[in-house]
Amino acid sequence: MSDTIEIGKGYIAWAKDETTRGKGASGGFVTALMVAALEKKFVDNVLVVKKKGVYEGIPTMTNDVEKVLNAAGSLHSAPVNLAKYVKKSGKVAMPAKPCDARGVIEQAKRNQVDIENVFLIGLNCGGSMSPVPTIRMVKELYELDPASVVSEEILRGQLIFNTNDGEKAIKIDEVEDKGYGRRVSCRYCITNIPEMADLACGNWGVPKDKFGNATFVQVLTEKGVEIFKNAVDAGYIEFESASEKSSKMREKIDSTMRNLAEEWHKKVFSEVDSLTSSDRLAYYIDVFKNCIDCGSCRKICPVCACGDDSKCLQMEYEDDSYKLSMFHMVRLLHLMDSCIGCGQCEEVCPVDIPLTMIHRRFAERMQSRLGHIPGMNMDTPPFYEVELRS
Amino acid sequence: MEFEPEIVAFCCNWCSYGGADTAGVGRMQQPPTTRVIRVMCSGRIDPAFVLMSFLEGADAVLVTGCHINDCHYIDANYKTKNRFEFLEEMVDELGLEPERLRLEWISASEGEKFANAIKEVTENARKLGPSPLRREGVL
Ligand SMILES: Cc1cc2nc3c(=O)[nH]c(=O)nc-3n(C[C@H](O)[C@H](O)[C@H](O)COP(=O)(O)OP(=O)(O)OC[C@H]3O[C@@H](n4cnc5c(N)ncnc54)[C@H](O)[C@@H]3O)c2cc1C
Ligand code: FES
Repeated sequence: MSDTIEIGKGYIAWAKDETTRGKGASGGFVTALMVAALEKKFVDNVLVVKKKGVYEGIPTMTNDVEKVLNAAGSLHSAPVNLAKYVKKSGKVAMPAKPCDARGVIEQAKRNQVDIENVFLIGLNCGGSMSPVPTIRMVKELYELDPASVVSEEILRGQLIFNTNDGEKAIKIDEVEDKGYGRRVSCRYCITNIPEMADLACGNWGVPKDKFGNATFVQVLTEKGVEIFKNAVDAGYIEFESASEKSSKMREKIDSTMRNLAEEWHKKVFSEVDSLTSSDRLAYYIDVFKNCIDCGSCRKICPVCACGDDSKCLQMEYEDDSYKLSMFHMVRLLHLMDSCIGCGQCEEVCPVDIPLTMIHRRFAERMQSRLGHIPGMNMDTPPFYEVELRS
Repeated sequence: MEFEPEIVAFCCNWCSYGGADTAGVGRMQQPPTTRVIRVMCSGRIDPAFVLMSFLEGADAVLVTGCHINDCHYIDANYKTKNRFEFLEEMVDELGLEPERLRLEWISASEGEKFANAIKEVTENARKLGPSPLRREGVL
C-alpha cells in the first residue's frame, strides 16, 4: 500500500501503536513518523518541543526515541519558534508550524541550514498563546488553579483545560472577546496550513468517527513522500486516502480562519492606520522611546542570521540623541523584504513594544511592492538578480 | 531668523561628484544648504546612511550617482535603485514627507542638473520646514 503516497494528495493517518495514538494531539502521526525516522536511521536527529508542564515548552534536538514519545501532543501556550534550533548537522526531522517552517527556509537562504537535510513536518496552526496571559486567563476566566491543569486542547472552536476533576471548555471567540486568548500576531496571521513544508498535518478535515485519533496529512514534496513511506514501511503508521469531503471541510475551515484573520488585521492595525503621517511619526517616536536596548527582538528573530556583528548593533550608539534608534531603523529596513510575521519579537519584548505589528506595517508594503512573500520557498527577492542591459 | 534647511547630498566619485564640480566651476547659482558626502560609488550608500542623515538633522537627503549603465563598477547603481525603493517605503511609513528624499542620476558634465536638483530640494525643504526627526536641544 505504501506506493500509493503521492505529492498533492491528502491522507487520514494515525500511529499504529495505541499509546502513541493516545498521547498525540490527533492520532500521534507526527510522533510515530519521527520515531520511525530515527529508528530506521532515516534521520540523525529530530527536533521536538519538550514539555515543561502545560505552559512551557523547550525546543530540544534529540535522537532519543523516549524523548520524542514524551513530547507528543500540541502545546498551544508554548509560543516558541523552532527555526534557530536547526543546525547544519546531518539529517533532521521536525514538527513545524507555518512560522517555524518559514523561519527554517529563511535560515537556509542565509546559509545557516541545509534545506535538503531538513524534513519539515508541517503542523496546521490556528495560533498559539503566551504563557503568562494564559495562566492569568485560567485563574480569572476559567476560575481554575493554573497549577492544577494537567492538559489543554483546542477542539471544535473551544479552548479546553483539563484538571484531575474534569474539564472546563469555553468558546475561543468568547475568550478573545474578553481580551484573553491567542497572541495578537497569530490572530491576524493568514498562513494556517504550512504549504511550504514537506507535509502539512492537522485535525481539520478528519472525519467524525476518527476525530482526535487521526490526522489529515497533505503530502507536499518528494521529501514528504519519502519520510511518510519510511514510517509506513517500518509499520509505525496506518493511513487511508482522504475523501473529497474531508479535503473540502479542511479547505472551508482554512478559509473561514483566513477571513477571521483579515478582520483581526483591520482591528489591530486600525489605530495606527487612522493617524495622519505626522502623527504616525510621533507614534513611532513615542513607542520606541520605551526600548531599553536589551536586543532580545534581534536574538529571537527566526529570519535574522547576522549574529553579534550585525549592522543594527554596530550603527547604534547608546549615547546618541536621535529621535529614533538606529538599531530599530536598521532592523525595520532589513526585515522589510523578509519579515514572516511570526510574532517572536513582540513576544519577547520586556517593555511590550508592539514590534510585530510595527514590523508588519513596513514589511507588508515592501513585500507587496516586490511581489515577494518570504519563507514560502527558496526564492530570493527579485532585486537580488541585478539586470544588466548592454 | 528664517529657516534654512540642511541638505545632505551623497555623490559618487566618478559622475555626480564631477557634476557638482562642474556646477561650481561653471558658477551656477545654488543655495549654500548642501553638505556633500563623496563616496566611491552610489552602491556604497547604505540606506542606513540616509536614515542616519535624517536622525543627525538633515531636512532632506539627495542620493546621486552615475546614469544607469554608466556606473564605473558596472551594475552597482542598479543596487542603489533597488535600495532606494526600500528607503521610499521606509520614509513614507515613518511619516516623513516623501519630498525630503530624492534620487538623481547625474553625469560629470551635467552641472546644471546638479545645481537644479539642489535648488529644488532646498525649495521643497524650505516649504516643509524643519524635519520632525531633527534632534532637539543644544547639540
Ligand atoms: C500551536 C499549535 C496550533 C495548532 N492549531 C491547529 C489548528 O488550528 N488546526 C489544525 O488542523 N491543526 C492544528 N495544530 C496541529 C494539531 O494540533 C496536531 O499537531 C496535528 O494534527 C498532528 O497531530 P499528531 O497527533 O500527529 O501530532 P503529535 O504526535 O502529537 O506530535 C506533535 C508534535 O508537535 C510538537 N509541538 C508541540 N507543541 C508545539 C509548538 N507549540 N510548536 C511546535 N511544535 C510543537 C511536539 O513536540 C510533537 O513532536 C496545531 C498545533 C500546534 C502546536
Ligand atoms: S560609480 Fe557612480 S554610481 Fe557607481
